[in-house]
Amino acid sequence: MTDIRYLAPPTLDEAVRAFAAAQGAARILAGGTDLLVQMRNGMVHPGTIIDIKKIPEMTSITEAADGSFWVGAAVSGAVLAEHPRFGKVWPGVLEAINLIGSTQVQGRASAGGNLCHGSPAADSVPAMVAAGAVLTIAGPNGRRTMPVEAFPVGPGRTSLAAGEILVGFTLPARPAGSGDAYLRMIPRTEMDIAVVGVGVSLTMAGGVVTAARVGLGAAAPTVLLVADAAKVLVGSKLDDAALNAAAAACSAACKPIDDKRGTIVYRTKVAAVLLKRAAAIAADRAQGRA
Amino acid sequence: MTSLLLNGAATQVAAAPETRLSAALRDECGLTGTKVGCDAGDCGACTVLLDGAQVCACLVPLAQAEGRAVTTVEGLAATPQGAALQAAFHSHGAAQCGICTPGMLMAATELLAATPNPDEAQVQAALGGVLCRCTGYRAIIKAVLTLSTAAPPPPGAVGDSIPRLDGLPKLDGSERFGADDAPADALWLRPIRSPHAHARFSIGDASHLPARLLTAADIPGRNGFGIYPDIKDQAVFAEGLARYRGDCVAALVGERAAVEAVRWEDLPITWQELPPLTAATAPGAAPLHPRWPDNILTTGRLRSGETAPPAAHTAQGQWTTGFVEHAYIEPEAGWAERHGDTIHVHGCTQAPYMDRDEVAAVLGIPLDNVRIIPSACGGGFGGKLDVSFQPMVAVAAWLTGRPVRAVWSRGESLASSTKRHPASIHATAACDAAGRLTSFEFTADYDTGAYASWGPTVAGRVPVHCMGPYRVPYVRSQARAVLTNNPPSGAFRGFGVPQAAIAQEMLWDQLADATGLDRLEFRVLNALREGDTTNTGQHLRHSVGLVECLEALRPHWHTLRAQRRTTGRLRGGVGVACMWYGIGNTGMPNPSTMRLTLAPDGRLTFHNGAVDIGQGSTTVLAQIAAEALGLPVSALHMVLYDTALTADAGKTSASRQTFVSGRAAQAAGAALRGEILRRANAGPDARLTLSDGTLRVNNEPLRLDTTLEGTGSYDPPTVPLDADGQGIPYATYGFAAQLAALEVDLDLGTIHLQKIVAAHDVGRAINPLLVRGQVEGGIAQGIGLALMEEYLPGRTENLHDYLIPTIGDVPDIETILIEAREPLGPFGAKGIGEPALVPTAPAILSAIRDATGATLRRVPALPHRVLEAIRGH
Ligand SMILES: Cc1cc2nc3c(=O)[nH]c(=O)nc-3n(C[C@H](O)[C@H](O)[C@H](O)COP(=O)(O)OP(=O)(O)OC[C@H]3O[C@@H](n4cnc5c(N)ncnc54)[C@H](O)[C@@H]3O)c2cc1C
Ligand code: FES
Ligand code: FES
Repeated sequence: MTDIRYLAPPTLDEAVRAFAAAQGAARILAGGTDLLVQMRNGMVHPGTIIDIKKIPEMTSITEAADGSFWVGAAVSGAVLAEHPRFGKVWPGVLEAINLIGSTQVQGRASAGGNLCHGSPAADSVPAMVAAGAVLTIAGPNGRRTMPVEAFPVGPGRTSLAAGEILVGFTLPARPAGSGDAYLRMIPRTEMDIAVVGVGVSLTMAGGVVTAARVGLGAAAPTVLLVADAAKVLVGSKLDDAALNAAAAACSAACKPIDDKRGTIVYRTKVAAVLLKRAAAIAADRAQGRA
Repeated sequence: MTSLLLNGAATQVAAAPETRLSAALRDECGLTGTKVGCDAGDCGACTVLLDGAQVCACLVPLAQAEGRAVTTVEGLAATPQGAALQAAFHSHGAAQCGICTPGMLMAATELLAATPNPDEAQVQAALGGVLCRCTGYRAIIKAVLTLSTAAPPPPGAVGDSIPRLDGLPKLDGSERFGADDAPADALWLRPIRSPHAHARFSIGDASHLPARLLTAADIPGRNGFGIYPDIKDQAVFAEGLARYRGDCVAALVGERAAVEAVRWEDLPITWQELPPLTAATAPGAAPLHPRWPDNILTTGRLRSGETAPPAAHTAQGQWTTGFVEHAYIEPEAGWAERHGDTIHVHGCTQAPYMDRDEVAAVLGIPLDNVRIIPSACGGGFGGKLDVSFQPMVAVAAWLTGRPVRAVWSRGESLASSTKRHPASIHATAACDAAGRLTSFEFTADYDTGAYASWGPTVAGRVPVHCMGPYRVPYVRSQARAVLTNNPPSGAFRGFGVPQAAIAQEMLWDQLADATGLDRLEFRVLNALREGDTTNTGQHLRHSVGLVECLEALRPHWHTLRAQRRTTGRLRGGVGVACMWYGIGNTGMPNPSTMRLTLAPDGRLTFHNGAVDIGQGSTTVLAQIAAEALGLPVSALHMVLYDTALTADAGKTSASRQTFVSGRAAQAAGAALRGEILRRANAGPDARLTLSDGTLRVNNEPLRLDTTLEGTGSYDPPTVPLDADGQGIPYATYGFAAQLAALEVDLDLGTIHLQKIVAAHDVGRAINPLLVRGQVEGGIAQGIGLALMEEYLPGRTENLHDYLIPTIGDVPDIETILIEAREPLGPFGAKGIGEPALVPTAPAILSAIRDATGATLRRVPALPHRVLEAIRGH
């Protein structure tokens, strides 16, 4: 009925070669929760599908001696949730990935697919941005790395060059006193696309923030790193003045659209509210209170 | 070739590796218990277990299942908990139409394997990916939580909560819905629909296509259909002018692969877009149909009372509502086959006799040459009253001589099917210083879309219902149905009344506050009571249980009000709303006929033409017939809805099957009983038993030489409405009051429902289990109307942009059944299908106002609208 070629290479090198050989007519398949929907809608018509789930490097989670984590691009949220350590170190990232869809979707959906799909509302991405994750990318010209916030360039567009595959995420080692959180706003209780999503990662010492990163989703054409918000948090005790300033910075960063899920005014306001709430959760975690 | 361990057996599947697992299971392995509701991961109907973990089979390429264990609903009974889970679903009424049931069962199986005694939150988390449009989820949660404690069912007398008699096939995957049983050699039909709201088009030479392109020119008979006998304004294939996005202009028919391979660019259709008419611009604009020069389909009016008594307080306001989609989980599907000069049409429907009439006219053949054989129907709610695939597959099968099948995709179902009318309402109400209502004035435009469909019914129902179940001395109401280039608005649980109830109940809240009365007591004060005369001039002698409903709610009202949070970021609110609903068609005949036969071999058969779309009529009507006959329900064999085998029971709409067909079933039971007693020469109290093929009357065997028959018909007594809306539109009314308790996040505008208490006067609950199921399901749809559902053509044509409540959105529901017997009804019963939905949205809006002081003017109350309303307040 169809003439799609289906490949499931066991190594990254083979995947890269096959991907390059297909010259743009191929699609990478991880969990398929975006790809199969796009194929069904007739939005993409791949000549070749390259299933990356058989590649060990892309399906593994490892914690290095220095405390940094490697998360393969094709690891599903459900598998990540079973890792004994990951959720303890990065509860916000794990929550974000496992807000994706339903249990059925979480069993398949990967953070790599979430990022490569390029949606500005992708839930895992603001949390990864807050976490300071670094991407490893492989292509015909070898490997390169880049910070996750540099990856999306527009709705549905990424900075992957032709033939490149996202291999995985490196999350940096966590100093003591760190915590992260991700919150999103949706009208329905579950299975819905974020109207706004905010990820916050903090490191604290003696009640004072020593490092902070803020990721903002669904509020602009791409997920954003909001450096201005982080800046006002650092050095503060998360007092009202600092939180209000960070919330204002978050609102200022918004370049949202008006659509059926929310207005520009609403999204801008919600970004501020979620920043404060996510920061409070991250702070509790950083200080061992949650 | 892919190898699976399928329900425990090693199985080779010969399909392309990228084939969706759902398609492979259904088409290659013949396991149609796995349902397809969206093909996009949104509905969960396709949920199966892959190595024990729940997945959407529509999102899994077959190759990724290679070598793994796949468990489907067909293999469930063999799993450790499977049979117990199926039994629990059965006894709790957790499957109504049954289309979501396989997915629910599989999701629950994964949960129970890991967590044998889950709590409610765990059940909600595990089942959150499967949508159900019928049950409101509460019965499903209960079934999973109380797996092992299912009590044996009662015998099935009137008033007994017996599980549905047609329930078992819904639990093991053997039920056949519209997409499940077409012949293997059937051709496929794929409709071609307008992508524009308003466009002229022309169709050129299609001979290059690998499939046949059917157009208006191919229709043998009348190229038109419509609900009303004199309005057949919607073409099977439009002729040169498409009037809404989704209007069908042609259809491809051929082998499946050929039909599916045709790309949009290949179609020889040229379009010339025209500016679309909206409800605001249509009145008076160039006519969409020559027949309605001002684009006003109908106007309904009611005038009651000459002058309004003096008032102390007035309240007024404007409200708008959007299109709401039925979102039955089963998209339209069916097939047709020609047998000589007769056509058989199979598939999901709510109205087989109307389908028969339309198909006969479209083919230009006599009614007797059309047989409609309804499949199981995976939800309808009014949306499967209008024909969809039926005329198309009939024409295609008629012309090709081959069986022809069609299955709408979710996007196509959303784009093409009828919707709830959007309403734009302005209303004013007044009361005296003591809080007694003095007047109510209501004008509304209902956007009826591109074709008439049920528009006239809505314009008829709204003016007589819009003042609600209250004593109002002076009423002026008017509702217009406006033709636009939007999807046709049709019948959807409540026919325009839920929209009107929002305005009416919001005004009552304002008046109650103005008079200083408690909002619930304000309603008690003004409620209709037995002996009152309605604004149509109808004297209500019996069965007006509204005050009892409100009184039953009063203790809950006080408790919930006392518990609510009145400070902080999360603010609690409790709302109350009432409704009434006329059972059956408005001032028009709507007869039903039921038949019982007893053959000489002792076979007792109930011939029941009322389509059960999940609401339970098959069970309820059997309970009624059996009770009237004097034999247990278990003695009945069933011949169910098939236009060749059963008499016309009318359509499954207007909450009429329990009341109207129930009366017919009662009469049929009584008639057969009369026949039996006459033959046995026994008195009216004689005891009947039936065992081993022998009927005994007072323990004496009764030998029969011919088949005995009892037929019953009923048509509720009504008087058509005059130009002022005066008459007896309905023989009886359902009444209800509901409370909603919720919390509003003042910073985000999000709403968290905490509890709904629903008191419904149903006359008599023939089967309380099924009645509660209707109430819970109606409430879930009311929640959707209030908080999230809004169909926007072209923008919400899938189930992740068109949101319906999930298991987490429906709070605890407490249902109180009030039984103010209706002497006309079977054993005192009225109806419940639609009434359940009507008060929910106004009760929720009332609670939001209680929590925040803000009156919502537009539903759904999306968070940004709530926040705007709070700001503006
Ligand atoms: C019902 C449902 C609900 C959903 N809910 C949410 C939600 O709440 N929040 C949310 O953010 N998303 C949601 N999604 C979207 C989706 O599930 C996520 O984006 C998911 O993370 C995608 O991961 P995947 O592994 O399934 O990707 P796939 O579908 O396999 O791939 C996605 C895209 O990325 C490409 N790709 C994948 N991996 C790589 C790689 N390593 N290198 C290069 N390209 C790659 C693919 O070719 C494809 O174009 C939902 C989807 C569904 C069906
Ligand atoms: S059919 Fe698979 S989720 Fe709807
Ligand atoms: S029973 Fe769940 S959709 Fe009908």
